[in-house]
Amino acid sequence: MDRIRRFLIRQEAIFTTFIALILSLVVVGVLLASTGRNPGEAFYYFMRGAFGSTFNTADTISRVIPLSIAGVAFSIGAKCAVFNVGIEGQLLLGALASAIVGYIVKLPAVIHLPLMLLAGALAGGLYALIPAWLKTYRRINEILSTIMLNYPAFFFNHFMVAKALPITGVVPATPFIEDTARLATLIPETRFHAGVIVALLVSVFAYILLQHTSIGYEMRAVGQNQSAARFHGIPVEKRMILAFFLSGAIAGLAGAVETAGVHYRYNDQFSPGYGYDSITVAMIGLLHPFGVIISATLFGALKTGILDMSVYTQIPRQLVTLINGIVVLFVAAKSMIVSGYLRVVKGKNPVTHEGEVTE
Amino acid sequence: MNLTFAEIIKTVFTLSLVYSTIRISISIIFAGMGEMIVERSGVLNIGIEGIMLMGAFSAAIGSYFTGSPWWGLLFAVLTALVIGLIFAFIAITLKSNQAITGLAIFLLCVGLSGFLLQVIFAHGGNSPMVTTLPIIHLAFLEKIPVLNEIFNDQSVLMYPALLLPFILYIFFYRTPWGTWLRAAGENPRALAVVGVNPITVRYLATLAGAFFYGIGGAYLSISQVSLFSENMVAGRGFIALAAVIFGNVTPRGVFLACVFFGFMDALQITLQTAIPDYLIAREVFMSMPYVLTLLILAGFIKRSGGPADIGNPYYKESR
Repeated sequence: MDRIRRFLIRQEAIFTTFIALILSLVVVGVLLASTGRNPGEAFYYFMRGAFGSTFNTADTISRVIPLSIAGVAFSIGAKCAVFNVGIEGQLLLGALASAIVGYIVKLPAVIHLPLMLLAGALAGGLYALIPAWLKTYRRINEILSTIMLNYPAFFFNHFMVAKALPITGVVPATPFIEDTARLATLIPETRFHAGVIVALLVSVFAYILLQHTSIGYEMRAVGQNQSAARFHGIPVEKRMILAFFLSGAIAGLAGAVETAGVHYRYNDQFSPGYGYDSITVAMIGLLHPFGVIISATLFGALKTGILDMSVYTQIPRQLVTLINGIVVLFVAAKSMIVSGYLRVVKGKNPVTHEGEVTE
Repeated sequence: MNLTFAEIIKTVFTLSLVYSTIRISISIIFAGMGEMIVERSGVLNIGIEGIMLMGAFSAAIGSYFTGSPWWGLLFAVLTALVIGLIFAFIAITLKSNQAITGLAIFLLCVGLSGFLLQVIFAHGGNSPMVTTLPIIHLAFLEKIPVLNEIFNDQSVLMYPALLLPFILYIFFYRTPWGTWLRAAGENPRALAVVGVNPITVRYLATLAGAFFYGIGGAYLSISQVSLFSENMVAGRGFIALAAVIFGNVTPRGVFLACVFFGFMDALQITLQTAIPDYLIAREVFMSMPYVLTLLILAGFIKRSGGPADIGNPYYKESR
């Protein structure tokens, strides 16, 4: 009994996040019921949409890929006290840059694919250096600057596909990328593509960087306590700029992978809000590179499931954004859940452990 | 090329540009003034954009179903207060990170307004047309040349928007409540010593802020245009946030900053039509408000102005 209790206390963050998630879904259920929708029916169509067939499951996975990569992008910044809300813009720029490299040059696949992915990462990373400079040298809150910078990124991309580049099709879009720049489809006739490997590699990279290198250690130290980090001689500004760059580069990579694996070109309706979803994904994943994969799976299912659901029921697809908002709100209010949770788990007589402070 | 530079200047810089500046500034002024009150009390609410969005949505809904824009305005204010209360509870009582809480409020409101719009009207990204607040026409202004073109035939909400900075100036610096408000942001412990609870002050300030964001949002959907469309606030909440920084959190500064950003927006809209697309693409002008706002913040920022204790939760016992 005591061991279970101790485990529940040690893994408090995971369990309370889970409770926050459950509470959010309860709120969503109540909201659906109160607008005259049947939550049970909604759930049935949701599950069918997300996992009902090989095609649907593959579709879910194809959404998990960008969500997971973008989730790591937000996490790696947040670990260093950098809240990059500009992932949407960086992702779009990365997608466009990679699409251009994908169609404009002819190269063997071994060079072409890495080059186009690199172009995407570079575009996102460089764009993130603007809010990095604004935060470190001009002390402008990065939530403000990164959200504002999403607009010019979108307008720029629109300008490029609608006016600057050769137009193809009805929707403004770039030409299709060369076969050599595409990520292989792993299950034929579905959207399950090799980007899944890139996503895993990104998580592994972030994990090693944050947990097993001194630079990663310093980044986390900045995230924990800036003045203490500065006192210990850590170059706080440098680490923050690096966090911005990596966050933006990974976001750009998410866009490049989406281009190389799913759309094979950049069009004007490219991202269904992956940038904003990434915030929720990262928070539910506890900003941990592997936790993000789990929560991305959850939200990937949410996205395909709700899209399918909105076809069969009267529930609009905007429900995804709403769920995002409710989840982040509960995560922000987690201290309420945490105190209740600890009270229940610890029972009436708080157990003491080595290194743990009793209340 | 038959368009000379002088001709463009002549078609752009007219009295109607000043008229549009005022018209566009109104929502930013309400939001900026609201945020100034909040920040003075030591709280940073990044969720302005979201609360404005819900204000715009509620105003359109209220106006549509009652036929009266005044009910719409009331409905917008009530919605904004409820969301403001949620923010206050999480940020002040639970002492969560204020930036993240504001972000959460923003995301929640984007989702909620989009979702409810579909649930209620079940089509497209727009509400139907709604009745708007009255436009005020003053007969005596007709005889005064310049003022007539600028201030006549503006929304009824222009008058409170232009008065607000003066009222807040008096409130901040000439009343005891204003002193308490500023003390809550500068040194909450000292305020507690005199027997005023900083928590209460911060709650009231946050609600007052939400009240004004609500009006600012409502102005967009039931006055500037006559319908609600998805994400119609389009960054104005964040621009208001920038105006508070740029304006050094003082009534005069923030007011001038709001009007300046309103001018930027009016200017880019005018330039879009005055300059042909092949010469300078519309997207350049559309990016202008966001880029210039950041550039201006980067160039002019002063760190002396803001309240000392902003963004920090208040703990009763000092730690």
